[in-house]
Order: sequence, then structure tokens, then C-alpha cells
Amino acid sequence: MKLLVLLSWPYVRKHKLRMLLTLAGIMLGVAVYVGMHTANLTIQSAFQRTVDRIAGKAQLQVSAGETGFPEDVLERVQSLREVSAAAPVIEAALATPQGTLLVLGVDMTGDSSLREYDLEGGGEDVIDDPLIFLAQPDSMIVSRQFAERSGLGRGSKLTLKTMGGQKTFIVRGVMKATGLATVFGGNLAIMDIYAAQAVFGRGRLFDRIDVGLSEGVSVRKGTAKLQSLLGPGFQVEPPQSRGAHFESMARGLTISINMASLFALLIGVFIIYNSFSIAITQRRGEIGVLRALGASRGQVRRLFLLESIVLGVAGSLLGVAAGLALARGVVPGLAATLQDVFGHAVSASEITISPPLAAFSVFIGVLASLVGGYIPAHAAARVDPVKALQKGRNQVLSEGENRLRRRAAVACIATSAALIGFGNGNAYFYPGYLLGITSLILLSPSMAMWLASVMRPVLKAVWPVEGALAADSLIQAPRRTSATVTALMLSLALAVGFAGVSRGIYASLIDWMSHTLNPDLYVSPSRSITAKTFRFPASMAGELRSMEGVEEVQPVRNARVMIGGEPVMAVSLDIGAISRRVRVKPVEGDRDEMVRLASQGKGVIISDNLSLLRNLHRGGILEIPTPRGVLKLPVLGSSVDYSDQQGSFLIDSKLFQRYWGDDTANLFRIHVKKGQSREAVREAILKRWAGSHEIFVYTNEGIREYILRLTDQWFGLTYIQLAVALVVAILGIVNTLTVSISDRRRELGVLQAVGGLRNQIRRTIWLEAVSIGVVGLVMGAAAGVVMIFFNLHMLHRDLGGLRVDFVFPYAFVALMTPVVVLCSFAAALWPAESAVRASLVESLEYE
Amino acid sequence: MSKWIAFLLASCALAQDPRQIVEEVQRRNRSQSQRYEGTLTVTSAKSRVTQKRWRYERTGSFGDSKAVLRFLEPPEVKGVALLVHNHKERASDQWMWTPELQRDRRIALQDRSTRFFGTGFSFEDLEERDAGQFDYTLLGQEKLDGQMCWKLEARPRQTKRSQYTHSYLWVRQDLYVYVMVEGYKNQELLRRIAYRDYENVKGLWTARFLEVFDTKRQSRTTMKLEKLEYGLPMKDEDFTLQALRRPL
Repeated sequence: MKLLVLLSWPYVRKHKLRMLLTLAGIMLGVAVYVGMHTANLTIQSAFQRTVDRIAGKAQLQVSAGETGFPEDVLERVQSLREVSAAAPVIEAALATPQGTLLVLGVDMTGDSSLREYDLEGGGEDVIDDPLIFLAQPDSMIVSRQFAERSGLGRGSKLTLKTMGGQKTFIVRGVMKATGLATVFGGNLAIMDIYAAQAVFGRGRLFDRIDVGLSEGVSVRKGTAKLQSLLGPGFQVEPPQSRGAHFESMARGLTISINMASLFALLIGVFIIYNSFSIAITQRRGEIGVLRALGASRGQVRRLFLLESIVLGVAGSLLGVAAGLALARGVVPGLAATLQDVFGHAVSASEITISPPLAAFSVFIGVLASLVGGYIPAHAAARVDPVKALQKGRNQVLSEGENRLRRRAAVACIATSAALIGFGNGNAYFYPGYLLGITSLILLSPSMAMWLASVMRPVLKAVWPVEGALAADSLIQAPRRTSATVTALMLSLALAVGFAGVSRGIYASLIDWMSHTLNPDLYVSPSRSITAKTFRFPASMAGELRSMEGVEEVQPVRNARVMIGGEPVMAVSLDIGAISRRVRVKPVEGDRDEMVRLASQGKGVIISDNLSLLRNLHRGGILEIPTPRGVLKLPVLGSSVDYSDQQGSFLIDSKLFQRYWGDDTANLFRIHVKKGQSREAVREAILKRWAGSHEIFVYTNEGIREYILRLTDQWFGLTYIQLAVALVVAILGIVNTLTVSISDRRRELGVLQAVGGLRNQIRRTIWLEAVSIGVVGLVMGAAAGVVMIFFNLHMLHRDLGGLRVDFVFPYAFVALMTPVVVLCSFAAALWPAESAVRASLVESLEYE
Repeated sequence: MSKWIAFLLASCALAQDPRQIVEEVQRRNRSQSQRYEGTLTVTSAKSRVTQKRWRYERTGSFGDSKAVLRFLEPPEVKGVALLVHNHKERASDQWMWTPELQRDRRIALQDRSTRFFGTGFSFEDLEERDAGQFDYTLLGQEKLDGQMCWKLEARPRQTKRSQYTHSYLWVRQDLYVYVMVEGYKNQELLRRIAYRDYENVKGLWTARFLEVFDTKRQSRTTMKLEKLEYGLPMKDEDFTLQALRRPL
């Protein structure tokens, strides 16, 4: 510790900027990790909190996926002696000018035994009249927060968009801003469940039943009793399980967040490595003196490791603070994305701070710092006191060292290929992935030097003096160069990897949409086609068919059902009718046969990702729990289908209606007669239902744009992380150049002394920076190919089983080229100015 | 004379058997049908007053009867109805009809303890309590409202699902009618119902005024019976869900 104060502190004070840059490297890495995880955690916690508060005293919830179930189930549940209270619930999210309003449809005659409706005024009496509340379908209770935001009070009118168009509700009660009323950021409204059925087009179905158990009945016993009474078509679970299902739906997001965060940290490691390598180079004299005075190698190593720990702690703490700020900014976007992609509304007004996450982040920040600082610390310990004053030698990599790295890289590549090629499962894939990345890192110094050598003649040809000096500076200081290049390579590889995957997904989606989404118009009850709040009554299909210009109407009902404890999207439609218009692309099975049998209700066509995720193949049996019992249907084949990340299956609508008792529709696909104006039909539909139903009519292009916009939203979060990763890498370049200038102060001073112009010095430094950028870019693009390969594999294996074609993002790389070159150039501006403005005498005296 | 003594002794013995007291109350109150219009006034703890009117019709023997209660006023609740099918051996079946929604809903057994649409009554209080569903204990005699009463304790049998662990009943000794009923959950008094203004209508002593005090909410509900009639001809089919759906 004494050495730390005596030796390290003066150095830090002298090189504040570099220390700040290094600190920023750790801070940003940790900030991305904390920020993205906190945002994700905030959303998950907000969802769970909403579930818990809404559930109130309910110990169990009965549901049937997202499909709902007939009302008679309620009486069956209530008939059990083990059940002390059973209250049906409908949950819906409505868009209002004050944000999304969560509307709970409950049966107020019995619901208060499960939920505390803490009403303003101190009692139930403040519902103007409970009987009027039940008797009038326009009755609503709102939370105090929502009432204040909307300027409402008891007796006020509130207009909301419903299945029946704009509808005016009367506020007949205001809940205190406590308990239940605080869910969803206080945007909560309660209405009678039977009125809610009509308002949200639920027919005679309930979304779920909240259950309170009789005294002395354990949750386990209650679950078993209810499950045996209702059969496997129903999920009987504690409310907490809904949070777990939500988490499982958003698993893809969590994995990408983890990957990008770890990459950000890895890049941080290289920044630290670089910074410490530089520090050791600069302090070799100091180390030599220390060693000459009797300091042991261990003491020197510990000194530098301690420095990296101190730096790691400081950077990590700053990173945690910055991460929490980042989370605050990210949460609204993340919530909107999850709502749009999964149809689940989440409201998180405050971020959830997790002390274990913060502690772990500090730990990995310090660990990253230690890892980054270890090799330089080891090198410092091995400094020969005699050679310590021989400047420059330490930057040279010996051929033996290089050979060793190349051999290790080859071994890593071979092992990685063997693990991925022959191994089965994540236990082989992820180590293979890690080894693949390690091999890139090991190869990067040799590759960087080779590329710099290749560039030297080009640079020399264009700028004979400055070009040659810049290239030589890179080649002669491989340690300094390679760490920066590696950091830049990793960030670009990460960016190229993600861009490649996103291009691949776009290309695959566009291909899928071109043969699947071919109707002229789509009629949806919500602006978001994934929202499940509203549904159309079956009768509307007939009315649409009778409209002039409409040739065919295909109702679609999709809802997640629970298969094997995980949600899977059921897509119910008239398969016979659809197949006449859509050419299903089979991955497994004969197209005509699977369509014929599926349209007869003799099986299901599953999505390719469901096939992979559940290891289900043609001829296998898909056991689908339904409210009428388990439906065992043969898998007729699989096709490419991007309906849901957790897989989907196509089921004929007749079969779906029979087993789920649900003939409503989420969407109508409409084909317009030849020669008829699509726009005219669209207008006619909107006019026909204006005022009676809330509908949205999308054109074919509109729906494609919508889906691509959702995909954009999904990737939008990743782009934030990529941007931070790039900033970290750019910091690395600034750092390297700053040191390069310090290292070469004498050299640059001599250059000036022998007549070198200031502009020549500037250009040399600029060229050096741009060269680092170009080398990093080339290596990043190459490493990006490897990253795309790994990412596609990961997408296929763990992120929804999606089969996406390999697409190299040429446009992205083309876009990144000027960005990297300009950023590298910008990074060189200050060091270049500092070099030319330095005192010539001091520069010549340096060393 | 000996006949008179024997009769008096028999009367005393009868009077002191709590079950027989309750059975006698029920016997004396028996009618094949009943109709009245009630005015219900609820006064909350904060002195907020709401008023409603309903028409009540009942047919069938006590404990096994069917009843329909239809709200007449205010206009927002007009037509809302409650159908009650009482059973001797088990809890009643109850359904509510809301004309604006055109929907009926079953009042679940578990929900019987909840308040009857904001009044001091619970849905359970609207049931006819057949003596066979309770065990009775005679606690003594007390004077209430100037009348000598038997004080009984009623505890629901295992087959009976009730919000009350026990109730105290005060029965007027001269008329065999209830003067007051208190419902308890363990030691906590939940509800007190007082019966007043007894009047003999077609040989049946009937309270024309009821007052319910909800101790939890500190609210007071009074019910005034008007147009009270007994023995009217009523048809069973008027006490079904289909009949409930008919417009008023």
C-alpha cells in the first residue's frame, strides 16, 4: 500500500487523462452490463409486482394459456371445498392519453374477498352505489393517480376505445393510491367482469380465475385438487409463475443482453491491458530502480495488480452509477418493445436497483481489470533492471512469443471446430464459441502486424515520410498497437456479428412475409397486432365477406397455450382456405399432404423453431392441453414460421373452436377482388365499423412495415450496447495515441529539430491513428464473419430455434468504414496537437 | 283442571327446548306465499344516505321456498333481480340478473358472506334458515324493547357453510317472533338485525321495520315493508332464471 501511495499516485497525477480514459473503459463496460441488466430486471420485477398486487390474497390462479375458457369452469372451481374464494378476471390494456391503462374486469360480488379495494373515503360506500356499479355496464373505478392525471372525480365521464368503438364510462369510485391501485404506475381501472366481456369482445370467456384456499389447505394440496378437477388443459399455478412465464418469453432478450454486456466488458479488458502495458513501458526506469533497491518480483507484480484493483473498483463504482442512469433511459423503450413483441403491457415508472447485481458488477469489473492488468503486471515483475533504461525494447514481441500465440490460436481453432462440429448441446457449443473468440484474440497481434506491413508501402507511396513513420511506429510497437487493434476488432466484430444477424433476420423475414403475408388487407382490433386486449366476434367475418370488393376473408385467432410448461403460439385458421393463397415452405414433410390433413383437423403443422426447441418431428405427437382435455395431434410437418420466438403451430379453426370454445378472431386477412381498389375497400371497412367497433385496417405493405418496425425495435436495444462498445474501442485509440506520443516525444522532437514541419508531425500521428482504425476495421470485419456464424448458431439453438440465412452486412461495414476512420482521426487530433506544441528542448531532453 | 295443568307443564317444557322454540317461530311464520314492497335506506358511517325500493315475492314452504327480489328504484337499478332457491339440507342457490347487461350471474357459495349490493345485509342473510341446519342452546331470558324474550345461541352444523360461527337470537315469548339477531365470527360481532313494528297480517305476525347494523363498516340499513300480502296465488315458473330475464 505504501508503494501504491509513493509510486502509483504520482504517476496517476501526472497522467490524469490516460487514467481517466482507462477508467472510462472499465466504467462503460460495467455501465452497459449494469444498465441493460437493471432495465431487464426492472421490467421483470414490474411485471411480477403487477401480477402480485393484482393477485391480492389469491394463492392460485387458474388459466388456459392466453385463450381464456368458458364461464362454467368457475362453478366447477367454486364447488371444491378446498376453495374459499374464486374470482374470475379479465385483464386488458387500453391506450389512453395518460399512457396505457390496465383494466381489470372482476366480479365485485365476491372479488373483495381476494382483493382489497381501498377506496377513497374509507369504505365501499364511496362507490356511489355498489348495485348501480353492477347494474350499469358503463361503471368504472379508477385509481387516484389515474384520476388525477386525467382530471377525473366520482361521477366524471371517461371515454375509452373499446370493441364497440369509443365508449363513455362513468367513474363510480376512486381507489386510494395504495396497494392494488399502485400497479401499472397507478394507471388502473376496475370494471364489472360481465361488462368487460362485452367491452373487450371476450364472448362468454374468462381470462383466468383467482383462487383463495380454505383454511388449512396447502397450496400444494389445492393445486393438486384443482388440477385433477379441471384436467391438464388448465394451468393451476401460484401467481408468481406468471412472472416466470414472462421471463421465459423474454429469454431471447436476456441472452442477447448478456452476450453484448460481456463483450463490452471484454473490450474493457483490452483497454486496461493496453493502458497497463503502456504504463509499464513508461515506468520501466522506475521499476528498474525499485528492483535494484531490492524489491522482489512479487512486490512489483502485487503493486501493479493492486493498481488494477483500485482502478477496477473506481471504474466499476462509476460504471454502476452510470448503468443505473442508462437503465432509466432504456426502460421505457424496453417496456414498449416487450409490449409490442409479446403483447404484454408492462409499466415501470421506477427502476429496480438490485444490490446483488451491483455487487456482482463491481466484482466482474474488478475481475476484468485484474485480468487486463495481469499480463502487464507479470511483465513488470520480469523487468531486468539493467535493460530497464533501454527504451522501446519492451514494445517488441519476440518471434518466439508470436509463434507461441499462433500455435495456441491454431489449437483453439481446432478444438473449437471439433466441439462445435461433433459435440451436441450447449456444453460443447459455448466452450467452442469461447475458444473461437480466444483464437481471434491470440491471432490479432500477428494479423495486426501483417496488415500494418501490408499498409506500409501504400502509406509510403502516398506520404513518403509521414506514411513510412506512421507505419513503422505501429510495426515497432506491436504490444501497444495490438491491444488497441484487438479492442477495436472485438467491438467491430460484435457490431458486424449483430448487424449480420439482423440483416439475416430481415432477409428471412422478408422472404417469409413475401410468401405468407399475401392478403391485400389486414383488419385488426388493436393498433398493435400482437395485443390481445380486443377480439372480433365471429359474426364480423360474414359481414366483411358481404362487402363490395371483398373476395375472401380469412379469420385468424392466435394465442399462446402452455405446452410442457412453456408458452407456444397456437395459430388457428381455415388451413384449406389459406393454403389456396399461401405456399407453405415445408422444412419437413410433404406440403400438399400436410395441408390436406391439417385442414381436416388430422394434425398440426409446426414451426421449424418449435421442432428444434421441442425436438419434435414429422410423425411425432404434439400434446396440446385445452379446456376440453388434452388434444393429441400428429405433427404433419414443419415449416418456416416467424410468428413467435418460442414456436408456433397451425391448427384448423374448426378444431380450435371445438376444443377451446372460442370462435373470436384476432385478425382478418382480406383478399380484394381483382380490379377493385384496395384503398376503396379499406375505406369502406373503416366507414362500415366507424363508431361501432374500434378497428385498424392495414395494407399489405403496412403490415410488413409494422413487422419490420417491431424487429427494428428489438434490435434497437442492442444498438445501444454496440454504440457503447465502439466508444470504448475509440477510447482505446485515444489512449494508445496519447502514449505513442509520450513514448516518441524525443523521436518527434528530433524530427522537428532536423527540420520536420509541424504539419508533417501532425500527419504522421493522424496517419498512425487512421491506420490503427483501418487495421482494426479489416480485422473486425473478418472476425465479424466468425461472430455471425456463432450468432446464427446461437439464434438457432437458444434464441427461439430460428433458422436464419448467413448474410454478410456489406452495407453496415461500408457505413462503419468512414465512422471508424473519422473517429480514429478525431482521436488523433488532441495527441497530435499536444505533440507539435510540446517544447522542443523538453522533448529532446526526454528520456 | 288437571288438563290445564298438564297443558301448562307441556307448554313450559316446549318453551324451554331451544329447537322447538325456533321451530315454533318458523311454524307460526309459515305461509304458502308472500309479497311486499320494501324501501331500503342505507346510511353509511359518513352519513351518506342511499335509498332503493324492491318488490319481494316468495312461494313455497319455509326453508324450501323460492323467492324473487326485483329492484324498482332508482331508475339505474330498475329490473335488477335476485332469485333465491332455498333448500332444507344445504345452502340456497342464488342468481342475479342485470337487465342492462342482459346477463345473469350465479352468486357463489363462497361469496355469500359479502354485502348484498352495498346494504348491511349479506347474501347469506337473505336465506331462510331452516332449524335443521343449526344447533341451538337456550342461554336464558331477557327483556328487549319491553318484551320478555328467550335468548338462544345458534351454531351452524358442519353441513352448513356460514360466515357466522354463531348467532344470538332473541325470540319474543308472547308472539314467537324474532326481536333481534346478532351474527358473530368467533368473538367479533359482524351484524345486528333488529325487527320492529310487528303487525298481524292475515294471522301472521310480521315485522314491518328491520334495522341492520354492520359493525365493520358502521353502516345502518333500514327496511320498511309495505303492501304486505300473504297467500297470493303464485306460479313456480315465475321463480326461474327464464322468468328472471323477463322485462319488469
